[in-house]
Amino acid sequence: MPRYELALILKAMQRPETAAAVRRTVENLMERGAVVRGLENMGERLLPYKMTKHNQRHSRGTYFLVDFYCAPSILGDLLNHLHRDVDVEDVTI
Amino acid sequence: MRSLGTTVKLPVFTVVPDLLPVLCQVKMLCVRGLQRLKAAFYLPRTTTHRSLTSAEILPKDDAVSKALVEHYVTGIRLLKVENPSRQSKKGCVLCNVTVDFKNIQLLSQFVSPHTGRIYGRHITGLCGRKQKEISKAIKKAHSVGFMPVTHKYPEFMKDPRICSIKHLD
Repeated sequence: MPRYELALILKAMQRPETAAAVRRTVENLMERGAVVRGLENMGERLLPYKMTKHNQRHSRGTYFLVDFYCAPSILGDLLNHLHRDVDVEDVTI
Repeated sequence: MRSLGTTVKLPVFTVVPDLLPVLCQVKMLCVRGLQRLKAAFYLPRTTTHRSLTSAEILPKDDAVSKALVEHYVTGIRLLKVENPSRQSKKGCVLCNVTVDFKNIQLLSQFVSPHTGRIYGRHITGLCGRKQKEISKAIKKAHSVGFMPVTHKYPEFMKDPRICSIKHLD
Protein backbone atom coordinates (compact mmCIF):
# COMPACT_ATOMS: atom_id res chain seq x y z
CA MET A 1 0.00 0.00 0.00
CA PRO A 2 1.45 3.37 -0.86
CA ARG A 3 2.17 5.92 1.81
CA TYR A 4 0.23 9.18 2.02
CA GLU A 5 0.36 12.34 4.07
CA LEU A 6 -2.78 14.22 4.87
CA ALA A 7 -2.38 17.92 5.61
CA LEU A 8 -5.45 18.78 7.61
CA ILE A 9 -6.42 22.28 8.61
CA LEU A 10 -9.18 22.49 11.18
CA LYS A 11 -11.17 25.43 12.38
CA ALA A 12 -9.76 27.28 15.41
CA MET A 13 -11.79 25.68 18.18
CA GLN A 14 -11.48 24.78 21.81
CA ARG A 15 -9.31 21.83 22.73
CA PRO A 16 -12.01 19.17 23.29
CA GLU A 17 -13.72 20.09 20.04
CA THR A 18 -10.48 19.92 18.10
CA ALA A 19 -9.72 16.57 19.70
CA ALA A 20 -13.14 15.30 18.71
CA ALA A 21 -12.67 16.45 15.12
CA VAL A 22 -9.25 14.76 14.86
CA ARG A 23 -10.65 11.60 16.38
CA ARG A 24 -13.49 11.64 13.89
CA THR A 25 -11.10 12.05 10.97
CA VAL A 26 -8.78 9.28 12.07
CA GLU A 27 -11.65 6.91 12.74
CA ASN A 28 -12.94 7.69 9.29
CA LEU A 29 -9.58 6.75 7.85
CA MET A 30 -9.39 3.53 9.79
CA GLU A 31 -12.92 2.54 8.82
CA ARG A 32 -11.89 2.67 5.18
CA GLY A 33 -9.00 0.36 5.86
CA ALA A 34 -6.14 2.82 6.18
CA VAL A 35 -3.29 2.14 8.56
CA VAL A 36 -2.40 5.32 10.40
CA ARG A 37 1.32 5.63 11.02
CA GLY A 38 1.40 8.83 12.96
CA LEU A 39 -0.25 12.10 13.68
CA GLU A 40 1.57 15.41 14.09
CA ASN A 41 0.16 18.56 15.55
CA MET A 42 1.69 21.67 14.05
CA GLY A 43 -0.17 24.00 16.34
CA GLU A 44 -2.66 26.75 15.88
CA ARG A 45 -1.48 29.55 13.66
CA LEU A 46 -2.61 32.43 11.58
CA LEU A 47 -3.50 31.08 8.18
CA PRO A 48 -1.36 32.23 5.25
CA TYR A 49 -4.48 33.47 3.50
CA LYS A 50 -8.09 33.79 4.49
CA MET A 51 -10.16 30.80 3.54
CA THR A 52 -13.87 30.73 2.91
CA LYS A 53 -15.37 27.37 3.70
CA HIS A 54 -18.92 26.36 4.49
CA ASN A 55 -20.01 29.98 4.33
CA GLN A 56 -17.53 31.03 7.01
CA ARG A 57 -14.43 33.11 6.67
CA HIS A 58 -11.43 31.72 8.57
CA SER A 59 -8.23 33.48 9.60
CA ARG A 60 -6.83 31.10 12.18
CA GLY A 61 -6.55 27.34 12.07
CA THR A 62 -5.06 24.28 13.67
CA TYR A 63 -2.68 22.29 11.50
CA PHE A 64 -2.40 18.51 11.62
CA LEU A 65 -0.35 16.11 9.57
CA VAL A 66 -1.49 12.50 9.33
CA ASP A 67 0.82 9.83 7.91
CA PHE A 68 -1.01 6.78 6.70
CA TYR A 69 -0.97 3.85 4.33
CA CYS A 70 -4.04 3.12 2.30
CA ALA A 71 -5.26 1.76 -1.01
CA PRO A 72 -5.54 4.44 -3.70
CA SER A 73 -9.15 3.56 -4.43
CA ILE A 74 -10.49 5.00 -1.19
CA LEU A 75 -8.80 8.38 -1.56
CA GLY A 76 -11.48 10.02 -3.69
CA ASP A 77 -14.24 9.00 -1.35
CA LEU A 78 -12.22 10.08 1.65
CA LEU A 79 -11.53 13.55 0.24
CA ASN A 80 -15.19 13.98 -0.59
CA HIS A 81 -16.17 13.11 2.95
CA LEU A 82 -13.59 15.43 4.50
CA HIS A 83 -14.60 18.37 2.35
CA ARG A 84 -18.16 18.00 3.60
CA ASP A 85 -17.08 18.08 7.23
CA VAL A 86 -17.92 21.47 8.72
CA ASP A 87 -14.99 21.69 11.08
CA VAL A 88 -12.43 20.99 8.43
CA GLU A 89 -11.16 23.98 6.53
CA ASP A 90 -8.68 22.56 4.08
CA VAL A 91 -7.50 19.10 3.15
CA THR A 92 -4.61 18.06 0.93
CA ILE A 93 -3.18 14.60 0.41
CA MET B 1 4.07 25.21 19.03
CA ARG B 2 6.27 22.82 17.18
CA SER B 3 9.15 24.53 15.36
CA LEU B 4 9.09 23.98 11.65
CA GLY B 5 12.45 23.05 10.27
CA THR B 6 15.86 24.53 10.80
CA THR B 7 17.42 27.60 9.36
CA VAL B 8 20.14 27.00 6.86
CA LYS B 9 23.60 27.78 8.18
CA LEU B 10 26.07 29.32 5.75
CA PRO B 11 28.91 26.95 4.91
CA VAL B 12 32.31 27.39 6.56
CA PHE B 13 35.08 27.05 4.01
CA THR B 14 38.00 24.83 5.07
CA VAL B 15 41.45 26.28 5.57
CA VAL B 16 44.27 25.38 3.15
CA PRO B 17 46.33 22.62 4.78
CA ASP B 18 49.35 23.63 6.82
CA LEU B 19 51.62 21.28 4.88
CA LEU B 20 51.54 23.64 1.92
CA PRO B 21 54.83 25.52 2.42
CA VAL B 22 56.83 22.38 3.32
CA LEU B 23 55.66 20.29 0.40
CA CYS B 24 56.09 23.22 -1.92
CA GLN B 25 59.69 23.67 -0.89
CA VAL B 26 60.58 20.02 -1.24
CA LYS B 27 59.00 19.82 -4.65
CA MET B 28 60.67 23.02 -5.71
CA LEU B 29 64.06 21.71 -4.61
CA CYS B 30 63.65 18.61 -6.73
CA VAL B 31 62.42 20.54 -9.72
CA ARG B 32 65.13 23.15 -9.42
CA GLY B 33 67.80 20.53 -9.08
CA LEU B 34 66.67 18.76 -12.22
CA GLN B 35 66.35 22.05 -14.06
CA ARG B 36 69.90 22.99 -13.17
CA LEU B 37 71.21 19.66 -14.33
CA LYS B 38 69.27 19.91 -17.56
CA ALA B 39 70.65 23.41 -18.19
CA ALA B 40 74.13 22.15 -17.56
CA PHE B 41 73.70 19.30 -20.03
CA TYR B 42 72.45 21.54 -22.80
CA LEU B 43 75.34 24.00 -22.62
CA PRO B 44 77.39 23.90 -25.78
CA ARG B 45 80.72 22.25 -25.31
CA THR B 46 83.14 25.01 -26.15
CA THR B 47 86.55 23.54 -26.08
CA THR B 48 87.98 26.71 -27.57
CA HIS B 49 87.05 28.82 -24.59
CA ARG B 50 89.65 28.74 -21.99
CA SER B 51 87.95 29.91 -18.88
CA LEU B 52 87.78 28.41 -15.51
CA THR B 53 84.05 28.94 -15.12
CA SER B 54 83.09 26.93 -18.20
CA ALA B 55 85.24 24.07 -17.02
CA GLU B 56 83.33 24.02 -13.76
CA ILE B 57 79.92 24.21 -15.38
CA LEU B 58 80.54 21.54 -17.99
CA PRO B 59 79.23 18.30 -16.63
CA LYS B 60 81.24 15.17 -16.46
CA ASP B 61 79.58 12.06 -17.82
CA ASP B 62 80.39 10.01 -14.85
CA ALA B 63 78.50 7.85 -12.46
CA VAL B 64 78.07 10.64 -9.89
CA SER B 65 76.13 13.00 -12.12
CA LYS B 66 74.08 10.15 -13.51
CA ALA B 67 73.21 9.07 -10.02
CA LEU B 68 72.17 12.61 -9.17
CA VAL B 69 69.84 12.78 -12.14
CA GLU B 70 68.35 9.44 -11.23
CA HIS B 71 67.87 10.63 -7.67
CA TYR B 72 66.01 13.77 -8.66
CA VAL B 73 63.83 11.99 -11.19
CA THR B 74 62.76 9.30 -8.74
CA GLY B 75 62.24 11.98 -6.12
CA ILE B 76 59.74 13.75 -8.30
CA ARG B 77 58.04 10.47 -9.19
CA LEU B 78 57.71 9.41 -5.55
CA LEU B 79 56.38 12.75 -4.37
CA LYS B 80 52.85 12.28 -5.64
CA VAL B 81 51.28 15.20 -3.87
CA GLU B 82 48.08 16.87 -4.76
CA ASN B 83 48.50 20.23 -6.40
CA PRO B 84 48.41 22.62 -3.41
CA SER B 85 46.88 25.42 -5.39
CA ARG B 86 43.88 23.31 -6.45
CA GLN B 87 40.58 24.60 -5.12
CA SER B 88 38.07 22.13 -3.71
CA LYS B 89 34.72 21.89 -5.47
CA LYS B 90 32.22 24.40 -4.16
CA GLY B 91 28.64 23.25 -3.90
CA CYS B 92 25.59 25.43 -3.52
CA VAL B 93 24.22 26.32 -0.10
CA LEU B 94 21.75 23.45 0.00
CA CYS B 95 23.98 20.71 -1.33
CA ASN B 96 23.52 18.38 1.64
CA VAL B 97 20.13 19.58 2.82
CA THR B 98 16.90 17.77 1.95
CA VAL B 99 14.17 20.13 0.84
CA ASP B 100 10.68 19.53 2.24
CA PHE B 101 7.44 21.44 1.70
CA LYS B 102 6.77 21.32 5.45
CA ASN B 103 9.98 23.21 6.22
CA ILE B 104 8.52 26.62 5.52
CA GLN B 105 11.19 28.52 7.38
CA LEU B 106 13.80 27.27 4.94
CA LEU B 107 11.54 27.93 1.99
CA SER B 108 10.78 31.45 3.19
CA GLN B 109 14.45 32.35 2.93
CA PHE B 110 14.20 32.13 -0.86
CA VAL B 111 11.12 34.28 -1.13
CA SER B 112 10.83 38.06 -1.30
CA PRO B 113 9.65 39.61 1.98
CA HIS B 114 7.69 42.32 0.16
CA THR B 115 5.84 40.41 -2.51
CA GLY B 116 6.35 36.75 -1.58
CA ARG B 117 7.76 35.96 -5.02
CA ILE B 118 10.29 33.18 -5.48
CA TYR B 119 13.79 34.45 -6.25
CA GLY B 120 15.53 33.38 -9.43
CA ARG B 121 18.71 31.35 -9.73
CA HIS B 122 20.90 34.40 -10.26
CA ILE B 123 19.83 35.69 -6.86
CA THR B 124 19.68 32.54 -4.77
CA GLY B 125 22.91 31.06 -6.15
CA LEU B 126 21.58 27.51 -6.00
CA CYS B 127 22.45 24.75 -8.41
CA GLY B 128 19.83 23.64 -10.96
CA ARG B 129 18.57 20.67 -9.04
CA LYS B 130 18.09 22.45 -5.71
CA GLN B 131 16.49 25.52 -7.28
CA LYS B 132 13.90 23.28 -8.92
CA GLU B 133 13.26 21.42 -5.67
CA ILE B 134 12.82 24.65 -3.73
CA SER B 135 10.52 26.07 -6.34
CA LYS B 136 8.34 22.95 -6.36
CA ALA B 137 8.26 22.78 -2.58
CA ILE B 138 7.21 26.44 -2.29
CA LYS B 139 4.39 25.95 -4.77
CA LYS B 140 3.25 22.83 -2.93
CA ALA B 141 3.33 24.66 0.40
CA HIS B 142 1.18 27.40 -1.15
CA SER B 143 -1.45 24.94 -2.30
CA VAL B 144 -1.53 23.00 0.97
CA GLY B 145 -1.98 26.18 2.98
CA PHE B 146 1.29 26.15 4.89
CA MET B 147 2.97 29.14 3.36
CA PRO B 148 1.54 32.49 2.36
CA VAL B 149 1.60 33.38 -1.32
CA THR B 150 1.75 37.14 -1.45
CA HIS B 151 3.90 37.79 1.59
CA LYS B 152 6.27 36.16 4.05
CA TYR B 153 5.45 35.25 7.64
CA PRO B 154 6.75 38.15 9.81
CA GLU B 155 8.54 35.84 12.23
CA PHE B 156 10.80 34.70 9.39
CA MET B 157 11.89 38.20 8.42
CA LYS B 158 14.87 38.08 10.75
CA ASP B 159 16.38 34.94 9.24
CA PRO B 160 19.93 35.06 7.86
CA ARG B 161 20.08 36.28 4.28
CA ILE B 162 21.13 33.66 1.78
CA CYS B 163 20.02 35.43 -1.35
CA SER B 164 22.23 38.17 -2.67
CA ILE B 165 19.63 40.85 -2.99
CA LYS B 166 19.74 44.31 -1.52
CA HIS B 167 16.55 45.60 -0.02
CA LEU B 168 15.87 49.28 0.25
CA ASP B 169 14.98 49.10 3.95
